[in-house]
Amino acid sequence: MTATLRSLLRHETILAILLVLVLFALATQSDRFFTTANLLNQGRLMAEVGLVALAMTFVIVTGGIDLSVGSILGLTAILLGVFWHNLGIPLPVAMVLAIFAAGIGGLVNGLIITRFKVPPLIATLATLALYRGLAEGISQARSVRGYPDWFFVLGQGEVLGVPTQLWILGLLVVIAAVILGLTTFGRATYATGANETGARFSGIGVDRTKLLIYTASGLVAGLAGVIFVSRVSTTRSDMGTGLELDVITAVVLGGTSIFGGRGTIIGTVLGLILMQALKNGLALSGVKGDGTIVVIGLVLILAIVASNLFSREGDG
Amino acid sequence: MLKRTVALALGLSLGVSSAAFAGNWTGGDDLPTNPLACDGTPGKAEAKPYDGGVPTNAPDRKAKPIKVVDVPKLIGIGYFNATSKGIAEAAKELGNVEAKTDGPTQANIDQQISFIDNYITSGVDGILFAANDPVAIAPVLKKALAAGINVVGYDANSEPDARQWFVNQAEFNGIAKSLVDNMAKEVGEDASFAIVTSTFTTPNQARWIAEMEAYQAKCHPNMKWLETVEAQEDNVLSFNQATTLINKHGDDLKGLFGMTSVATPATAEAVTQAGKCGKISVIGLATPNAMKPYVEKDCVKSVVLWNPVDLGYAALQVLRATADGDLKPGATSVKAGKLGDLQVINGSEILLGAPFTFTKENIKDFDF
Repeated sequence: MTATLRSLLRHETILAILLVLVLFALATQSDRFFTTANLLNQGRLMAEVGLVALAMTFVIVTGGIDLSVGSILGLTAILLGVFWHNLGIPLPVAMVLAIFAAGIGGLVNGLIITRFKVPPLIATLATLALYRGLAEGISQARSVRGYPDWFFVLGQGEVLGVPTQLWILGLLVVIAAVILGLTTFGRATYATGANETGARFSGIGVDRTKLLIYTASGLVAGLAGVIFVSRVSTTRSDMGTGLELDVITAVVLGGTSIFGGRGTIIGTVLGLILMQALKNGLALSGVKGDGTIVVIGLVLILAIVASNLFSREGDG
Repeated sequence: MLKRTVALALGLSLGVSSAAFAGNWTGGDDLPTNPLACDGTPGKAEAKPYDGGVPTNAPDRKAKPIKVVDVPKLIGIGYFNATSKGIAEAAKELGNVEAKTDGPTQANIDQQISFIDNYITSGVDGILFAANDPVAIAPVLKKALAAGINVVGYDANSEPDARQWFVNQAEFNGIAKSLVDNMAKEVGEDASFAIVTSTFTTPNQARWIAEMEAYQAKCHPNMKWLETVEAQEDNVLSFNQATTLINKHGDDLKGLFGMTSVATPATAEAVTQAGKCGKISVIGLATPNAMKPYVEKDCVKSVVLWNPVDLGYAALQVLRATADGDLKPGATSVKAGKLGDLQVINGSEILLGAPFTFTKENIKDFDF
């Protein structure tokens, strides 16, 4: 246990050092990078990916994957618009209902995976298409616009000088870190990913754990969807396309093993910040968009290779 | 088991009931259509007061060197390569503008917003954009205006008050007329047709389709519109969607419209591979280079477009004129270098010109 703990710490330490180096390098490249206004603004831009990445950490720690999060986000956005605009439900209720529907979307994923024993990759690949199709079918190409001003506080406003969604993200980071790191449920999550058969024989409710995690993944994707709608002030059925890739990149960069059983919320947060800092800092120092993607790919490989090298030395 | 059934039933009923409320195709926006006269009488430009935005505390940029960034819907496709070529030409001609093009590699609203946001932070003097969504892009453009940056759109508009001017490549009803008239000429007045578009909410395509519907109902009432399918701006998906349409409707299908520079060549390729050249007419918006093979083989007879190089050129000229203070709210025309005087329409839009139809006779003369 201490050995795994050490290797865990090691990846996060490497990542933290890398992050400091990157922040330092970017700050020397552009004097507009390390300003409070820019950093808070970047926090605003990464909130949606961040929220989904928290739940995705749990999903990947169990050895699973959830590719449908982007589609759930899109579906939530459309449902929010339809509930409020077409059905005339008051907006706060519509928000709750839309997020609830996203939770059902996640629950369906969980049911397909646990009851029908479909591999998560296949199951969520199917629902990725299904939920996006529903979003497009329901929306019938109509964007819903003209939300009331108070609604924009969520995505465009500030509370005590900090973007609203950053508070939400911060709160959920703490909750997720506590659940994964300190509770029985967290240990059940690790056990499920490390050795599912073993976990079953130890009397851990593997299916129940997975079901809850996929439902939570749907719920936060829904929450991110509502925030997204508030940030861009419109709904579109193609919202959140490709979100799953950003999310998975952040989680994997954060040291969560794609084979399950290993990973921390701190790592995910570091991975997330590193990715956003690179995107923003490189753009500010004049690197074009296609160059930025290349750099992010290289950093991902570098971080994982470095971490593997060090942990192998540690094992030997 | 019970839990599962309940969840599934809930999910299904949710989907179905909402779908029932969504109603019919309305063109993706709620704006009224304005079909042109069937015989080619030009539409009247209505005088409208300036409805664009104004940058806050913009510094005096008259004749000073300025830094401009161009953020198109996406980069790496022929169409936006052509606009950015025009922007570079104008920058070279003007001499006091440093212009570069940067944008997402997919037509994605979120990424485009992030790009613009980063350029606002990095401190540019001017932003050119082609919006992936008119409403979603508005908050970040307003932020640019609030930072004193000159903002001019081209190709795809935003909400008017989120930018100063918009360079309109061709009026929507003009494009719609040109497309539908060419189709009616090729397939006859009582033929059926289908449309391959990008997404239903893409502003230009949605508007064109709405105008096409109105114009067709007014001037070619016996033509039958089978269906409209989405294909993103994706080559393979466009090909597949067109092939599906050909197989699904069989001999009923006489004509296909491609609404994007990606969908049109892919649709022509699908018709070619299905061996339906001459049986199914393809008409669409596309760049000439992509369409040359099909036009030369007589598989496609008309390609409708404007010159995107001129569009980019005009966009930067308008931005320069705005930064210099030469183009002010209320102006009726603007000088755009080699293009001469361009007309101001709809309050805060600048019209590039009438749409152009490429045919077998003239397509050789264009290279973009």
